[in-house]
Amino acid sequence: MPHDLLIPTVPTSRRTQHEETSMNQHSMTIRGKERYKSGVMEYKKMGYWEPDYVPKDTDIIALFRVTPQDGVDPIEAAAAVAGESSTATWTVVWTDRLTAAEKYRAKCYRVDPVPNSPGQYFAYIAYDLDLFENGSIANLSASIIGNVFGFKPLKALRLEDMRLPVAYVKTFQGPATGIVVERERMDKFGRPLLGATVKPKLGLSGRNYGRVVYEALKGGLDFTKDDENINSQPFMHWRERFLYCMEAVNKAQAASGEIKGTYLNVTAGTMEDMYERAEFAKELGSVIIMIDLVIGYTAIQSMAKWARRNDMILHLHRAGHSTYTRQRSHGVSFRVIAKWMRLAGVDHIHAGTVVGKLEGDPATTRGYYDICREDYNPVRLEHGVFFDQNWASLNRMMPVASGGIHAGQMHQLLDHLGEDVILQFGGGTIGHPMGIQAGATANRVALEAMILARNEGRDYLREGPEILAKAAETCTPLKSALEVWKNVTFNYESTDMPDYVPTPSVAM
Amino acid sequence: MDLDASPMTDRVNLREELEAVGIEEILTQLDRELIGLKPVKTRIREIASLLLIERIRKRMNLTTDTPTLHMSFTGNPGTGKTTVALRIAGILHRLGFARRGHVVSVTRDELVGQYIGHTAPKTKEVLKKAMGGVLFIDEAYYLNRPDNERDYGQEAIEILLQVMESQREDLVVILAGYGDRMEKFFASNPGFRSRIAHHIDFPDYSNDELLAIAELMLHDMNYKFSDEAREAFTRYIAARVTQPLFSNARSIRNALDRMRLRQANRLVADLDRMLDADDVMSLQASDVLASRVFLKDKS
Amino acid sequence: MRVTQGCFSFLPDLTDEQITRQVQYCLEKGWAVNIEFTDDPHPRNSFWEMWGLPMFDLRDAAGVMMELAQCRKVYGNSYIRMSAFDNSHGWESVRLSFIVNRPKDEPGFRLERHEMAGRNIRYTTKSYAVDRPEGGRYG
Repeated sequence: MPHDLLIPTVPTSRRTQHEETSMNQHSMTIRGKERYKSGVMEYKKMGYWEPDYVPKDTDIIALFRVTPQDGVDPIEAAAAVAGESSTATWTVVWTDRLTAAEKYRAKCYRVDPVPNSPGQYFAYIAYDLDLFENGSIANLSASIIGNVFGFKPLKALRLEDMRLPVAYVKTFQGPATGIVVERERMDKFGRPLLGATVKPKLGLSGRNYGRVVYEALKGGLDFTKDDENINSQPFMHWRERFLYCMEAVNKAQAASGEIKGTYLNVTAGTMEDMYERAEFAKELGSVIIMIDLVIGYTAIQSMAKWARRNDMILHLHRAGHSTYTRQRSHGVSFRVIAKWMRLAGVDHIHAGTVVGKLEGDPATTRGYYDICREDYNPVRLEHGVFFDQNWASLNRMMPVASGGIHAGQMHQLLDHLGEDVILQFGGGTIGHPMGIQAGATANRVALEAMILARNEGRDYLREGPEILAKAAETCTPLKSALEVWKNVTFNYESTDMPDYVPTPSVAM
Repeated sequence: MDLDASPMTDRVNLREELEAVGIEEILTQLDRELIGLKPVKTRIREIASLLLIERIRKRMNLTTDTPTLHMSFTGNPGTGKTTVALRIAGILHRLGFARRGHVVSVTRDELVGQYIGHTAPKTKEVLKKAMGGVLFIDEAYYLNRPDNERDYGQEAIEILLQVMESQREDLVVILAGYGDRMEKFFASNPGFRSRIAHHIDFPDYSNDELLAIAELMLHDMNYKFSDEAREAFTRYIAARVTQPLFSNARSIRNALDRMRLRQANRLVADLDRMLDADDVMSLQASDVLASRVFLKDKS
Repeated sequence: MRVTQGCFSFLPDLTDEQITRQVQYCLEKGWAVNIEFTDDPHPRNSFWEMWGLPMFDLRDAAGVMMELAQCRKVYGNSYIRMSAFDNSHGWESVRLSFIVNRPKDEPGFRLERHEMAGRNIRYTTKSYAVDRPEGGRYG
């Protein structure tokens, strides 16, 4: 190992402002004949550290949170990440000289200490577009998060954000349906959609399962949902579930005059099985199918293309993501997963509730929602959004808020999550003391009352409890829902929060 | 401002009330932008006072009706009718008698159609856009053409009259035009006269006022008269008002535009001189005297 | 039965004052409001009849309410809804839609099942109202 990797660096806390910014000053790239002399050379001298490089509009940019091993120079660590995620190997190879190597080298052009996190650094790395195959998340991720995450000189590494150039975005299909067309097909405008996951997760027979779907939809929900691990098990094979669910959907549709749907989970062991299940769902007239994140990026892209071809809304359950998104120092941020999924082409993605039982602080969650729903994301460090991102008219993804939410939080949910979202009250529907239909009705009435109040210009966040209480006067199910869950909140410290907080500035 | 939002009360501090609604600002603005027009300004102040008291009476629960606020503005072209309409709309808005306070300005063409079944939708379209504000109908007497028996204007008039009566809280209509023709129009359409609460007559400007208007316009554009030019322009006004198609402030603006053109030509004719700010700001007597008005004067 | 299409169908029928506030919300967003009516509220019936064109460039809800009053005079026993259109890029569709008038009696829908092979069923939703010809429904 080159010896200056071992020189300990000054701890961040003792650096002055000047020293911090001066981290970025010098290029150390060796040029000419010396560059390709056999042996081992530091990454920062091989051309993977180019502080003067100005990223091109067509470059893909990745932002990593780098935690070097003790004593490792952060610049060298960052250059190593650039090298290992692009052209480098551990030693100099002469075959580089047969290629336009300088173009293909990823270039780390900026390293900043992470505020209030000694020993961690943000490394900005630019990749030439020619390093990637068109329209392939598999190829993109194999480069960016391939080998490099196990690299020994690093204690930990996290992919925080990516800037995807328009030139690359345009090579992807994007969401099969998109928020606008989904609303047109469902004939539902001006309010969040309502859903519920059928519970218990496991063990219901097809007939019993369909009962839950019917009750929830008839009571006023727009959607019901299979859980991530409902596939085809001994207690209920998939055809049973599909047939009973569609009976329930059609009955509820006739009873209400509204379009209804149930996310039929087509996740299976092989693509052939998934296509078979998706085709059957279509044959039965379902408007929506569902897949799990664990089927893999290529399978997701295949299903997105199938969904576009067959006019089907595609719901994605982000099963498994917390294994690599949750810890702040290592893994891949969910905002990157959200970006990849928008490219890959799913229509729905679970993106957090803020107030529910699952991880997610309000500012970070806001960042995810913006990535799903906006055509252009400006830099918002306080939401964890590090780059301007132009989505080039790719369809919008509908975020799904699910897990531990109930009617009594309606004002907070609307305030945090906005209007284009699916609110899924599983326990909050099925656990209602008066039954599933009553639970569904309570949620729908609470939602409509809140939207009405918001549109009337009321301060619905502050007056929320009052608005709900008033609506409950003519709706017994809502009254009892508010009573049962009045004190349920989940207040735990978040494990993943933005590193930058806005400081109030004094107006001159 | 929304009248519903003001709380019921039994005591009102008039000064505070006046400051709260902020109509004094609008009246001052009106004084500043319009030279002269003393009788008009007095009438506007009277109407504003009436509405202020009306507003207080409502809050004291002494009245529940929405007063009739439709108006007629009579006077020659260029006497400030459109500007006053904009300010009136602002006053009505601040006092809570017009929810949005905008002005939709139309003439016969936007209200009356060309064939059967065309007029009602056109008139309604305009009325819907004006709801919450002021509908300003310029040269309102063209609405009906008594000499033409296939005229659709009468249909527009009937719809207007109905809305003026039944939706007083939603819309204020101002009918504008030459005094004598408006008089005839009201004589043949008594329905309008009875629905109009305020008649305001806009007098022609005096020659001194026209000069002041010219100076104000020039000042706003960063121009000025030289002393000789001012003297020449005084003579210009005296000649112009006696000629046909004179339309008060509008004629003054047109004259100034032509003088700016002549000034530019004069300056560009001598490419070798150095110009300072004063040169490009000043209109000279020659810029004024080249006007055709003076040719006619001599002949 | 009660057809629950639209944004506020689970609440008691909106008063004219409540409708006015919702319409004003739409106008302030710059959306054009359209009045639509039908006697065939099938869930897949996207195209209700238009009562005139969407109303563009209105500032105040009173104009829309004036049209609603006239529409009710003619189609008081039909379904009438307000639809607000947003023309901004990337949306260019309806933003808010809600029912503002219903027939006195809502007969609802019959679900017809057509049995196929493999326990598969073809479903057809039929409005009882459309058994009578257009215009003659809801008496």
